[in-house]
Amino acid sequence: MSVISRINEFLARASRLLLGGGKEALESQKKKGKLTVRERLDLLLDQGSFIETDLFVEHSAQDFGMSAKKLAGDGVVTGIGRVDRRPVAVFAQDFSVAGGSLGRAHAGKITKMMDCARDMLIPLIGINDSGGARIQEGVDSLCGYGEIFYRNTQLSGVVPQLSVILGPCAGGAVYSPALTDFVFVVDRVSNMFITGPQVIKAVLGEEISPEDLGGAMTHASITGNAHFYARSEAEAFEQVRSLLSYLPPSSQELPPEAPPRPPKKPVSPDIIPDDRRRAYCVKEVIRGLVDGSDFLEVHEHYARNIVTGFARLGGRSVGVIANQPRVLAGVLDVDASDKAARFIRFCDAFNIPLLTLVDTPGYLPGVNQEHMGVIRHGAKLLYAYSEATVPKITVIMRKAYGGAYIAMCSRHLGAGFVVAWPSAEIAVMGSEGAANIIFRKEIEESPDPEATRREKIREYEEKFANPYVAAGKGYVDAILLPQQTREVLVSVLAVSRNSTHSMPLRRHGNFPV
Amino acid sequence: MTTHDPMDREELEVDSTRYETEIPRRSLRPFPGLPDRREVRAFIPGTIVEVRAREGERVSPGQVLLLLDAMKMHNEVCSEIQGRVRSVMVRRGDRVEKNQILVSLEECQ
Repeated sequence: MSVISRINEFLARASRLLLGGGKEALESQKKKGKLTVRERLDLLLDQGSFIETDLFVEHSAQDFGMSAKKLAGDGVVTGIGRVDRRPVAVFAQDFSVAGGSLGRAHAGKITKMMDCARDMLIPLIGINDSGGARIQEGVDSLCGYGEIFYRNTQLSGVVPQLSVILGPCAGGAVYSPALTDFVFVVDRVSNMFITGPQVIKAVLGEEISPEDLGGAMTHASITGNAHFYARSEAEAFEQVRSLLSYLPPSSQELPPEAPPRPPKKPVSPDIIPDDRRRAYCVKEVIRGLVDGSDFLEVHEHYARNIVTGFARLGGRSVGVIANQPRVLAGVLDVDASDKAARFIRFCDAFNIPLLTLVDTPGYLPGVNQEHMGVIRHGAKLLYAYSEATVPKITVIMRKAYGGAYIAMCSRHLGAGFVVAWPSAEIAVMGSEGAANIIFRKEIEESPDPEATRREKIREYEEKFANPYVAAGKGYVDAILLPQQTREVLVSVLAVSRNSTHSMPLRRHGNFPV
Repeated sequence: MTTHDPMDREELEVDSTRYETEIPRRSLRPFPGLPDRREVRAFIPGTIVEVRAREGERVSPGQVLLLLDAMKMHNEVCSEIQGRVRSVMVRRGDRVEKNQILVSLEECQ
């Protein structure tokens, strides 16, 4: 065979494989309102940067007529590419090939990329679009899933792992994204569940649509399984690129720095309303403090009573955690604690300093919360903050009461720098409750108990609902005006380093899950 | 299933095989259905301090319908949908219970 005919054979083989499941299957993918796997990689990666691996991999299954079946790339495209010039390892399941089903070779291609991410210390991005296990391959596909889960866990805290769900992701397959750091979903494209609507109807008689059970908004707002919600695949990839811009490639490096920029709209001196019971939007405070007023929110639709996300202060990445007085009065509850704790742990793993903005009346009372386990879920927040060794800066804007004051990165949990605004109220509990307990006798014995109660509440408020008691004890390092705050935060962050305070010798802590 | 007593033995069928097992009461709770976003409810007991919604008024997502005093805050209770106010069930000064319906909306563009 001549060289030219060999070259032609190679080109013919490659172009067949690059077509995935073939024209018809790709058209059917488009008809569902989904992009093809190649279009997705084009949107994600810098132009021309993709180096594909394992295009020629084939499965070796024999049973159920599989030996005669050729599956292009075994249903997954893998390789290395660049996002804003920085390298990433990628796998993207191809639904046009056998429904993106996962067999041994398919899983082998994915785990090869995961090992590559580990060895090169670069982020791993997975695009999930798969009908699930390849039943014809039996336990081999289970082996494949298991090996992926094992590596997700090994990679956790080593390199950032992102999962973009662009199709079905059901049964055991959902556990790989769940083990990664960030999950992206797209309206009417993503579906995730352990058991689907049909099984639920057959076993339990409960009826629900796939969208309501495990669609994008369900996971973005109810379950919290998804961190980013997008209306289109293109928007989801924009979010991926934006997120990566804040992150280091691995825990061995610091996040990339950007040129510092002032906020577009600096925080206004009267951002905290005169009426201390009035709500305001804490995202305005965040945008008023950070570079360019750019804030990439994580879990925007889930547990909205706490806000988490990435921003920059003087060019450096920070992870922001802030109570949101506008939603549920900014209380801490099961979901808010869970959301914030996971975010804090991610930031700590990847050298991203924490900026905490506090205005919370406390924990949400209720039978439901107690029975849902607010004790152990709330404990996550304490653990995550206490464990974190990245620089921790806290700004107490208004209410910081009781256990919630401690939990929101107080100095007592290791905050390196605590600022309070003059509007801060730092006390063991709210004035009403405190006055009722401390002055119970006086109130009861008064000829006009209601008047005495009001007077005592005012007395307590005047004495304790301020930042000066805590500042007097050194629990607050500085009292600043809102408009002075950014400059000080930038300066403090510039001189802050990860704590080198050594941990006790242990295999690992026992994080409350 | 024979009984709802958690300590009793029951039989559970999975893929046409019957297993004798114990079923904790918690797993027997029926699915209550998804919350109806047309019914705006109190997330916590409190006092209505201001009613902004008026019957027949068009509302959009995020629009404040009323203020509920609870948890040391005047909480903005908002519409989650694009629609119209069907009825306002509370007045200024009313004490409300958790989950009480405050405003009922109907969906319309």
